[in-house]
Amino acid sequence: MADAIMPDRVDSPIPAKAGIGLRAEHYREVTDSLPTVGWLEVHSENYFGDGGAPLEYLERAREHYPISLHGVGLSIGSCDPLNQRHLAKLKSLIQIYEPGLVSDHLSWSSVDGSYLNDLLPLPYTEEALRHFAERVQQAQDYLGREILIENPSSYLQYTHSTIPEWDFLDEVARISGCGILLDINNIHVSATNHGYDAQQYLRAIPANKVREMHLAGFTVNRYPEGEILIDTHNAPVADEVWALYNQAVKRLGNLPTLIEWDTDLPPLPVLLNEARRADEIMEKAHALVA
Amino acid sequence: MQHIRPGRFAPARHFQVYRNNVFESLTNALKAVYPVTERLVGDGFFRYAAASYIPLHRPESGNLHDFGEHFAGFLSGFPPARELVYLPDVARLEWAMHESFHAGVGQPLALTTLSSIPAEEYGNLRFRLQPSARLLASSYPILRIWQVNQPDHAGSPDVNLEEGGVKLLVIRRQEVEMRTLSDGDYSLLSAIDAGSTLAQAARAAMDAQADYDLTGALASQIQLGTLAQVENEKKITGNPVL
Repeated sequence: MADAIMPDRVDSPIPAKAGIGLRAEHYREVTDSLPTVGWLEVHSENYFGDGGAPLEYLERAREHYPISLHGVGLSIGSCDPLNQRHLAKLKSLIQIYEPGLVSDHLSWSSVDGSYLNDLLPLPYTEEALRHFAERVQQAQDYLGREILIENPSSYLQYTHSTIPEWDFLDEVARISGCGILLDINNIHVSATNHGYDAQQYLRAIPANKVREMHLAGFTVNRYPEGEILIDTHNAPVADEVWALYNQAVKRLGNLPTLIEWDTDLPPLPVLLNEARRADEIMEKAHALVA
Repeated sequence: MQHIRPGRFAPARHFQVYRNNVFESLTNALKAVYPVTERLVGDGFFRYAAASYIPLHRPESGNLHDFGEHFAGFLSGFPPARELVYLPDVARLEWAMHESFHAGVGQPLALTTLSSIPAEEYGNLRFRLQPSARLLASSYPILRIWQVNQPDHAGSPDVNLEEGGVKLLVIRRQEVEMRTLSDGDYSLLSAIDAGSTLAQAARAAMDAQADYDLTGALASQIQLGTLAQVENEKKITGNPVL
């Protein structure tokens, strides 16, 4: 991998280890203390400014860590034209920071130019599949690189969906040539909310396409009729999700694994501990195989 | 609703989760930009204001940092906030800080650049402010209000509104900073920001403050890095028509 632009930096590729999200609250502490962790992931859109403090911290972080750019706002599944300004900003970030991985979601978030700031679900139909895969291809062609598509947490299913989410994701990857970012917490959240089997989901995912995994905490919303899990990224990874992750590692092998925590951020050591736990699971699984 | 499959819950419940998520995440985005405004009105009032604001000013890009730009203006016309006369200006200050945080830092104007220009051309020079510089004027003591509402503020939380107004420069060097400006400085920098020549800006400053020390003020603003290096030399040399 040629990292000729900035010789002072560590290499780009993301190692098959745990990483943490770099968030504004931790900018100073991370760039001052340089904690031991495999890599960092940032939300691409937070660095779309024309300069500014976030970019300065990212530059400092990039010297010491491989970086993954994770998008939440490209709105790939939308019927609006792909946002060229958004793509241009992303491309320029890619050129400057040389991320090891670039990702966004199997979802949409804009309609008629209005953005809802949420990862909204697609109907899983043949028509939506062609539309989504085509737009992934467009984005990859423009960016000149592979992107990863992440399975979202979902809270509703459409009456006209005909394809299970895992097959939809597999087909998107096959048609567009993109990779898969498998969010283990999202599998657990969606499987619980819709009453399907998380194991079946995991077994159906093509192992050779998964490049990264995500782990996060959820919130339980209680209603008179029952509980709905919400993917809030505001808590430690739940035990059920660790168990599912353990199985995923055995099936898919060791992969870059992100601890995602975005609201009610804990002190940095708490995040690092979660990352260590993911590393331990990978080391154990690896030892068993060897 | 007919497109939502009844699952473990009725379609309306499934849909409600998304509705809540959208409002919750956009409300949190506003809270992140306007923490002092939130503290002044409390969580319940802030949520109420946000819920009224969001449908009127939905985000127009996938970059959430653009969201919330019109909140101060919205608050000034929000009847439940009418008695909090200073609130829109506090919100304006917080938006200026937010913009400053995300703005680039340009090369500051160097004294040596100025000394390379014949003195008789100074009057026709046009400068620019740093991209991270924002100017604010308020009839209320918004800087004091901001300061006593910081989480680590130890003293009394009371501010006497009779203290009067304040003129401010918000600018980012390492961190975002706020500096109070004299009437003359504020008029000078506002005129420069609006594209006036140095002669015009100086006149505005003198009009605002009879005893204004232009030379001293310019030197200190250059030292603070408020003025940006003009990339194109022609821009600062002479000819007012560019």
